[in-house]
Amino acid sequence: MQAIRFEKVGFSYQAEQDELFSDSATFSLDGLDFSVEEGEFVAVLGHNGSGKSTLARLTNGLLSPNSGKITVLGLDATDEKNLFEIRKQVGIVFQNPDNQTVASIVEDDIAFGPENIGVEREEIGRRIEFALGAVGMSEYRHSTTSRLSGGQKQRIAIAGVLALKPKIMILDESTAMLDPRGRKEVMDVVLRLNREEKITVLLITHFPEEALLADRAVVMNHGKIVLSGKPSEVLAEEETLKKCSLTLPRPLQICRKLQSNGVAVEDCFDADALASALAPMLQNTATENTSEQVENITETGEIGSVYCENLSYTYNPSSPFATHALNGVDLQIHAGDFFGIIGHTGSGKSTFVQHLNALIKLPTAEKKYKPKKRKKNAVETNTKLQVNGLDLTQKTTDFKLLRKKVGMVFQYPEYQLFAETVFEDVAFGLKNFNENLTEEEIESAVKEAIERVGLNYEEVKNRSPFELSGGQKRRVAIAGVIVTKPEILVLDEPAAGLDPLGKEEIMSLLHTMHQSWCKTVIIVSHDMDEIAENCNRAVVFSGGKVLVQATPKRLFEKDEWTKQAGLDLPFTAKVMRALKGHGVRMDGDLTVEKFVEDLLKNIKTSGAGTSLEQGGQSNA
Amino acid sequence: MREVSFGQYYPSQSFVHRCDPRTKILFLIAYIVSVFLCKNFYSLGMCALVFLIVASCSGVPFKSLLRSVKAVLFLLVFTAILNLFFHSGETVLFSWKFIKITKEAVYFTIFFAVRLFLLVLSSAILTLTTTPVALTDGIESLLKPLKYIRFPVHELALIMSIALRFIPILTDETGRIMNAQKARGADFETGGLMKRVKAIIPILIPLLISAFRRADELGDAMDARCYSGSKVRTKYKKLKFTWRDLLSALFLGILIAGIVLFRIYTVSLI
Repeated sequence: MQAIRFEKVGFSYQAEQDELFSDSATFSLDGLDFSVEEGEFVAVLGHNGSGKSTLARLTNGLLSPNSGKITVLGLDATDEKNLFEIRKQVGIVFQNPDNQTVASIVEDDIAFGPENIGVEREEIGRRIEFALGAVGMSEYRHSTTSRLSGGQKQRIAIAGVLALKPKIMILDESTAMLDPRGRKEVMDVVLRLNREEKITVLLITHFPEEALLADRAVVMNHGKIVLSGKPSEVLAEEETLKKCSLTLPRPLQICRKLQSNGVAVEDCFDADALASALAPMLQNTATENTSEQVENITETGEIGSVYCENLSYTYNPSSPFATHALNGVDLQIHAGDFFGIIGHTGSGKSTFVQHLNALIKLPTAEKKYKPKKRKKNAVETNTKLQVNGLDLTQKTTDFKLLRKKVGMVFQYPEYQLFAETVFEDVAFGLKNFNENLTEEEIESAVKEAIERVGLNYEEVKNRSPFELSGGQKRRVAIAGVIVTKPEILVLDEPAAGLDPLGKEEIMSLLHTMHQSWCKTVIIVSHDMDEIAENCNRAVVFSGGKVLVQATPKRLFEKDEWTKQAGLDLPFTAKVMRALKGHGVRMDGDLTVEKFVEDLLKNIKTSGAGTSLEQGGQSNA
Repeated sequence: MREVSFGQYYPSQSFVHRCDPRTKILFLIAYIVSVFLCKNFYSLGMCALVFLIVASCSGVPFKSLLRSVKAVLFLLVFTAILNLFFHSGETVLFSWKFIKITKEAVYFTIFFAVRLFLLVLSSAILTLTTTPVALTDGIESLLKPLKYIRFPVHELALIMSIALRFIPILTDETGRIMNAQKARGADFETGGLMKRVKAIIPILIPLLISAFRRADELGDAMDARCYSGSKVRTKYKKLKFTWRDLLSALFLGILIAGIVLFRIYTVSLI
């Protein structure tokens, strides 16, 4: 039997209904035909606003179609009488883990679903046990939901749905807000549920890597299905994907680049496959370079630089909830760096970043601080923190100037927009920092900032920031920070939650700024590929300490640091590691572009380049 | 940070912690009534003794208890001063120009202060030893009879527990938004009243929008998990009375009997 069946479904949003919150004001499905077999694992891919989330909401009656027929497990989903039964059978896990938890205690939250359908007390207990076991969170039964990590919260949300014993599970971008570790946790659970519990899974995502795990992948664009088939085939359709604002999975990007240069490799989807395909063509080029390149840190006081020595910070000191967020951080960021800060949630990176523009002030810089107490707390006295040439350990420092010169873009910055017009919102920071500006000066600065983030000034200046699309909102929020022309720009997860193309655009925007006027860009990221692709130097935080700081190349050369911090390697580094297993050592660059160049150079010089010539001829 | 700032639950496994929340709520109500019934220092002393016994059984350090008084300290001092100066009496202890302090006023001030002190501290014991969730459950259970007059008890309890659940999330969010606006040069600490009120707008609007968005999403998530009101609903957690509750009830009985006796006794004296 078919689990889900859409026949010629038409649907359109009433633009006014959702204006304030939806990312795309108008949007429609038109004559959509789509079906999912029972037990199947289908991934639906599409950029933000392609209609993929509407698909999920239509399936369990949160939305109802204007025309056409939707059948779920043989029940007509457009008939309101069936809704209760359908919702019992179709569980949805949404994007934001915080907004789908009802209770403060894990087991109470999981009990919510079964309670709603009138399950007996003892049976609810059994279901909680089953659901928690299925997502591997049994030991968290009595925990507080708000204290869990993102991945754990999302697994609890899955358990909450599982407790209803559904036949179909829909994941509506459930991994979009998670870090890579959380994403993996969730995907492992989903895969197991599909394989072992035979639950039909509809996975809505914009990560091509996740779609690879499915039995079938479907690509949506403008409310229509444009591709459908085996994930490995669908995800190889470069042209169509590009049209839908999607990108090839990273391994495939490398394969395609090699292929277009005449190297005969087949399409690969993981590092090991790529390595074993490449290994015979490559030769050892790198010598064992284990010369430990420990960077010495030196104080320069230069504009655009950060120097930090022995920085510690404790939340809620002298209370039972005291947590040591930073334990003696030594760190240096040079002027001109595109610097990456990596580490897990709770590793101290966010706390560190907040020190950079004195959102957290050192105790010695507080107004109340009296030097007399110094003897009591001898540790703070040898802390050094210098940002953009300003000494942050002194209370005489001009902190307003600091904040003006050190721009800070927080995670999901679009959530801090507040003004009636885009112009007013962008001008907010500017007016705060410079009280005596004339109207013309303000206008020209705002115009410049809005144009710098790639938006049309005349088009957006008088619009409400809330009517813009998600990607545009983020740009406006960034414009609101760069309007003061900071020398150092700090961004916490600038690309989080964006679709692949949106990510690329934001990163290239940052590079343009970095090259033209912003001395130093610092990004905090969970995405190792993003770090490898963009940064010239990076630091790994773990347990409130700096594990290592170096160029990405040195950092990811060995996996000891990333392993210690519980992080992944970027894909290119994984390939090189796998190559090492095949007896090929190479010292390639970590960005996809340069990595391919290095590979090509290596293939040319090695004798095994026959395949190259053949390939080259056929290509020409 | 969030746990300390709100709910002030102090985790422990003490006798008081393990009592049924309903017992604690009823105990507190009865205790407050008793404190108000006190007419002299004997009965008030007895209430204070009961408080000390309960406090020592609660496993909460006295320091944390006293911290809860801090919030009402101003009120305490303010009313004490008013009482001291304006309570009428006969035996004048001290007088200067129009200020006159009488023996009765001193007596009354102390009595009143102790009473307020006990009220605040005893309420603090409830919130310190009961998780917000247990508290909501207790209130829901106690209000159950109101169902017969169509009072939406279940809905009220659900609203309360959701509100409690979102407090840490919205607290965090407020902190985040404040930081973001501070990074854009917003100043919340200096300036006059009007300036400060105005400075709140860039925090309030994003917070409201986010709260609405969250409510919207939560509504969908609840719908998707078959929430349809209270008709067919069962309840997983049931509150159970134990010997601890019986013991507490006995103890409470003795207190009330004592206070009533003291009242009769003092009345007969006069």
